[in-house]
Amino acid sequence: MKTKQDFPTINERPPEGVKTDGTKFRVLIVDDSMFVAKQLGQILSSEGYEIVATAADGKEGVDKYKELCPNVDLVTMDITMPRMDGITALEQIMAFDKNARIVMVSALGKEELVKKSLLLGAKNYIIKPLDRKKVLERISASLK
Amino acid sequence: MRVEYINPFVETSYRVLKEVLGGSEVKRGDLYLKSTAMPVMGVAALVGLAGDVEGRVLFDMTMDTALNIASKMNGEKLPEFDDLAKATISELANLITAQAVTKLHELGFKFDLTPPALFVGQKMEIAALGGTSENVEALIVPLITEYGKIEVNVAIRERT
Repeated sequence: MKTKQDFPTINERPPEGVKTDGTKFRVLIVDDSMFVAKQLGQILSSEGYEIVATAADGKEGVDKYKELCPNVDLVTMDITMPRMDGITALEQIMAFDKNARIVMVSALGKEELVKKSLLLGAKNYIIKPLDRKKVLERISASLK
Repeated sequence: MRVEYINPFVETSYRVLKEVLGGSEVKRGDLYLKSTAMPVMGVAALVGLAGDVEGRVLFDMTMDTALNIASKMNGEKLPEFDDLAKATISELANLITAQAVTKLHELGFKFDLTPPALFVGQKMEIAALGGTSENVEALIVPLITEYGKIEVNVAIRERT
């Protein structure tokens, strides 16, 4: 029995991480936690996104962004990190590239911090613990 | 220690733990206060607080519990307490503290958090906050899960 022909799938949709031209959206993950970087990487890769690099603090994130630009479509940015926090890194990346798409990912949900991030140019804000659905929704919305 | 500080930690520890463990049952043991140095169980993640209030929050558990919880949070069995397992337990501490602090901010307390520091070893002891005189009592919240017990140890005081 040729199931594929008998039952055409109605659920098929293109993975969100792939652009209309077939290439993948390229993501830079900035997070000092190996656990969170891995978790984000798994969620995003499963939807077709490509993780081009990860950085373990804000300073490294800014450096990697400058190095990769323009071959990076989105940055996920932690806030509490050693050396340079994510808010400072957000400011520096926005100053370097005003079209940068940055999504903050933090366990801190303080309203003033969310407001500040958005005012500084962040596209969205994800509060941890990470939930697959929440992450994919916010990331794909930020790429529109 | 005032009760306003304590509740956010008790509530968020319970809620976050339940969430990261995939909704498994979490029971709260009896709370108790301690003002002297106390032994830690084997793996301890510590987050410091500084600002209007200062102190620390310690998440204490045995090595077995730490491995079980890290394995569950990663969705794979971690054979040893490696870097990924350490990062996972640190992140758990970070998640709980950050959410508790968000609540405390809403109540008007302003302060910052340090990234979690992780300690692993046997026969460790943690001193009371403030050294020997005028100790700050630590509140201990035992949380019992099917993966083992975590004791959340909160010692906070208002800065003078």
